[in-house]
Amino acid sequence: MTSLTWARRRRSLGEFWRIFRRNKRGMIGLAILAFFTLAALLAPLLVDSDDIDPAFAPGQPTQPPSAAVPLGTDLFGRSVVQLLLVGARVSLTVGVLATLGAVIIGAAMGILAGYYAGRPLGTVLTALTDWFLVIPWLVLAIVLAAILGPTLLNVIVVIAVTSWALTARLVRAQTLSVREQPFIERARALGATNARILGKYVLPEVSPIIIAQGVLTVAIAILSETTLSLLGLGDPTSMSWGRIIEEAFVSGAMSNGYWWWIIPPGVCVILVTLSFTLLGYALEETLDPRLRQG
Amino acid sequence: MPGDPIALLARSQRLSPEALELQRVAFGLDQPLITQFGVYVRETISGNLGVSLISGLPVWELILSRMWPTLLLVGIGTILAAGIGVLAGIRGGWRRGSRFDSGSLYTSMVLYSTPEGWLGMLLLILFAGLLGWFPAGGYSSSTSSGTTDVAMHLALPVLALALGYVGQFLIVMRSSMMEVKAQPYIDLARAKGLTDPDVRRRHAVPNAILPIFTLVVISVGFILGGAIVIETVFSWPGIGLLTYEAIQTLDYPVLQGVFLISSAAVIFASLVADVTYGLLDPRVGAT
Amino acid sequence: MSVHRPLSAVAIAAAALSGAVFVGGWGSSAWAADDATTLTIGMTVGIDNPNIWAVNSTSEWSAVTLQYDMLMKFSDEDLSASPSLAESCEHNADYTAWTCTLREGLKWSDGTPLTSRDVAFTYRFVIDQGFSYFTSYFPKGSTFETPDDRTIVWNSPEPTRGMDVPPWVYIVPEHVWGTYIGKTNKEIKQAAVLPNVASGPYIMTEAVPGQSWTFERNPNFWGTEPAYERIVFRLYTNQEAMVQALKNGEIAIADGLESALLPAVEAIPNVAVQKITADSWVNLAFNFGGQDPAANPLPALKDLRVRQAIVLAIDKQAIVEKAYQGAASPGETIVRPLSVYWHLDIPDDQVTPYDPDQANAILDEAGYTRGGDGIRVDPQTGQPLVIRMPTSNDTPGSDIAGQLIASYLSQIGIEVKAQPVSAGKMYDLQQSGNFDAYIWYWTGDPDPNYQLSVFTSEQCGDLSDGCWRDATYDDLVAQQASTLDQDERLRLVREAQQYVYDQVPSIVLAYPNSLTAYRTDIVADLTPVPAGDGYLTPSYSYTGMVSARPAQLTDPAASASAQPASGDSGGDAATTAGEPSSTSTSGPPVWLWGIAALIILGGVAVIVMRRRGTEDRPDTH
Repeated sequence: MTSLTWARRRRSLGEFWRIFRRNKRGMIGLAILAFFTLAALLAPLLVDSDDIDPAFAPGQPTQPPSAAVPLGTDLFGRSVVQLLLVGARVSLTVGVLATLGAVIIGAAMGILAGYYAGRPLGTVLTALTDWFLVIPWLVLAIVLAAILGPTLLNVIVVIAVTSWALTARLVRAQTLSVREQPFIERARALGATNARILGKYVLPEVSPIIIAQGVLTVAIAILSETTLSLLGLGDPTSMSWGRIIEEAFVSGAMSNGYWWWIIPPGVCVILVTLSFTLLGYALEETLDPRLRQG
Repeated sequence: MPGDPIALLARSQRLSPEALELQRVAFGLDQPLITQFGVYVRETISGNLGVSLISGLPVWELILSRMWPTLLLVGIGTILAAGIGVLAGIRGGWRRGSRFDSGSLYTSMVLYSTPEGWLGMLLLILFAGLLGWFPAGGYSSSTSSGTTDVAMHLALPVLALALGYVGQFLIVMRSSMMEVKAQPYIDLARAKGLTDPDVRRRHAVPNAILPIFTLVVISVGFILGGAIVIETVFSWPGIGLLTYEAIQTLDYPVLQGVFLISSAAVIFASLVADVTYGLLDPRVGAT
Repeated sequence: MSVHRPLSAVAIAAAALSGAVFVGGWGSSAWAADDATTLTIGMTVGIDNPNIWAVNSTSEWSAVTLQYDMLMKFSDEDLSASPSLAESCEHNADYTAWTCTLREGLKWSDGTPLTSRDVAFTYRFVIDQGFSYFTSYFPKGSTFETPDDRTIVWNSPEPTRGMDVPPWVYIVPEHVWGTYIGKTNKEIKQAAVLPNVASGPYIMTEAVPGQSWTFERNPNFWGTEPAYERIVFRLYTNQEAMVQALKNGEIAIADGLESALLPAVEAIPNVAVQKITADSWVNLAFNFGGQDPAANPLPALKDLRVRQAIVLAIDKQAIVEKAYQGAASPGETIVRPLSVYWHLDIPDDQVTPYDPDQANAILDEAGYTRGGDGIRVDPQTGQPLVIRMPTSNDTPGSDIAGQLIASYLSQIGIEVKAQPVSAGKMYDLQQSGNFDAYIWYWTGDPDPNYQLSVFTSEQCGDLSDGCWRDATYDDLVAQQASTLDQDERLRLVREAQQYVYDQVPSIVLAYPNSLTAYRTDIVADLTPVPAGDGYLTPSYSYTGMVSARPAQLTDPAASASAQPASGDSGGDAATTAGEPSSTSTSGPPVWLWGIAALIILGGVAVIVMRRRGTEDRPDTH
């Protein structure tokens, strides 16, 4: 990697930032995300393990918001604010890790399916992608979760397995168009192996769409985890926002009027998912000049 | 259920070993796994989806009896979501940057980011709990249900479901409109002297709407998933609720049956969409 | 341009029509032709299969209890045996033969006479087909004779308390089920049963799967005619929805209420909550191993001192508060409190207190020193004290209790891995022994024999929670089972309970109340069984349903306005029972419909006008 290449990349990065900065939506998304990431990182400092201990939490159960507990307490007397902080960690972690898995699978499948389109491998992979795309994700997720059992790792795996197909499809489409490019022909003529072509030429071309899709997938992953937790399929020992909603729901938050317990976690999910969505669209627009507009 | 003397007589999970063994044999659970799988495939192909572990009723029957409420919910919900989404997307995409466009776009994104189960809970709290305008779940107020009665029970679940998916349709329709608007034949149509609304209606929309069909197909899978959550929150007696119950009791045959049926439904919808797409878009020859 | 006119005219007409339908539909309750009195009961467990032989869930049991009779029933007062289909039963001198005389003129709901042959058939059927819920009452080798239409004789090879228990077996018609003799249980369970044939006050006539089950009054019922013509069970899988339904008057009774919603329910005006004395208990059972060679539970749990320390470290009162909102009592002995006669109440000064310090002291003294991470280590095996603790999700409160216990035990250096699992999985775990302790529940008959026997050695691999094997206990249980002297038996039963309390093979955490809420302004005279804090809905008997009557007389004017916006026929409680005073007007107010209609019309008008207009705003990019 020559210094020229580095300089080029640095410049294009700067260029990227310059364009991205002007994207209002993207910046809003970034701001929201920064806030929650900060919250997630600071959580261990702000929340003492005793504070969220079911048996020894300092507060009174199911108290409405007050000066001491700005968002009230849950059934065990734990402060909802502290629960949300811990939840930020869990929800974000699950979202990001699941997406990593989904994107890696999706990108690999997409690239291979696109590159080998027309050949048996490509056909098989495309069919597989379509199958996963078409299967109702929640039903598949439920079956998998029921089989694997409700641990955090399994939730991550289940979400990854049910989310990769969309990325794969888009990456495949992109790969198809890249495949026809002249420089690919040239490289092949010069004797490059398929692996090299894929790694050196195809991958960089499809990276933008992978990244943009990846960010959008995080949004989906977080929503998926929330839904799984709502249905009681999540990890009961980890305090994700979805789990907080589920606990509130099961404890009669609706009928008993514990609005401070059941509404904030949902709002958090909305904000974080929104931020990733905005970011994802902004990335798409920044990377693809055709889509760029105010 | 809190202890109830009967519950123990319902020692459903505490059968005597003889009875349990009988049950196992009846379900073929004493066979090696590969035999079980073979039998399962054979039975499924011949239409026998097995029997519920809990109630002993045939899975096929169970699913069939719960089909209609889900069709109602998903059907109307999809139409509503697609309808509103498409209409708003047309308007927004055509007049990009307008207040309507920004407003509807943001609304869509917020809705898209909202967990549906939670949204359903909110609707329930507000409209059924606090205001009491709508019933708090269920299909109807009594066994003989009038159309209006069912409609009242359907209103909130359908709203929850539609709100969850309207955003997708809007965003796709909008970007499709924007893409189509940039096409040369639009300028051509304008040059011919057609009014703006006419151009939009006669040239832009028919072309822009094509991806919606694909989206509807892809969405069916998601919407079915959404139906599971919505039906659970609203006690809407459809297949979604059946799935949730099966999860709770680990009624595997039912889960498998639901999985099969929903996959088949989505594949069927996909075929329908493909055919329709082919009919509508003259450019599509052989795929 | 004019092409659009008919179209828009149609559109406007359609909009107006739909608006009218809605408004009309909302008001159509006044036309309701149906004026039958119906009692609607909400429940959160459904009836998957109304077939009596497939009975499984609490609602299915409720349905069966409502429709069928036993030979001798549980008395309304205290659940002791009392006449039902039989007007009297006698035993011979050595309790090996029981003779019962049926009432005169008994009929099935379809008019067929109910005779002793039906009784004999039923008992033989359940024994021969092996329906395990029902067979435990009959010693092996029992035979039944029917000397005449009204007499049934039960001959038992060994002395049996027989009809004093009484056998909890519902009598079924031979002319319906006789053809199923020898068929597989699977076929029997799948037999269609509606409309049902039984002898009780109500018969199930209609089932809408996943929604509601309707029972009509039985004209051939042998007892007092009930006031309600119809009873409907409605399923709400969602506790919240059921509570809302109670609030709106959609249901008169909410059964199987979970304690979590008590605050909301108690806030509804005109609602009473029956907190039924517990007939079940939630326990933390320890695993002693032996179910399976592969099972390897924590050996330290075999040490009595460890178990004692664990009991001391758990604050049962906190569990009652947080897991049951106070609708429970702290657990003590293994015979449930509802069996008032047999239940042993530990005196307050002898109850094990919540004392984590003492727990720590005991463990320190016993040599379980803490490791670097604070978790104690077993001196015998060198293993840290880590407990795998599944909690069953069919046991309300178990999840919360599990979390609390994990917290309490970490204070005394024991790590707990609490994991909610499905009841089905619990069963697997219980059979395989792959757990260290678990939280589940027990309930049973009024007679204590069943509950006591569950802890005996011979139940290992069958019903025993953790395969505890104790010869002293086994002896006690065997003795009380064969003692026919009531006083002596009571002494033995109490001794057995005390023994378990001291040896702690299992900790009874709580006695949760069953909760039934009902609208006092809709339904009245629900007789509790047993008397006092007993069940209102069919659990031990249908008495509550027979005595129930609408709280107010039917008032057509009031009922029209009180009707929730349901369609044409509606049979729910609000129809005839007068105006529930707290109902917020169900259904959006008329003005909202008016606005909706206006919006629709307005929208149509806008579309029409735009189609007509030739000018338009210039296209702006």
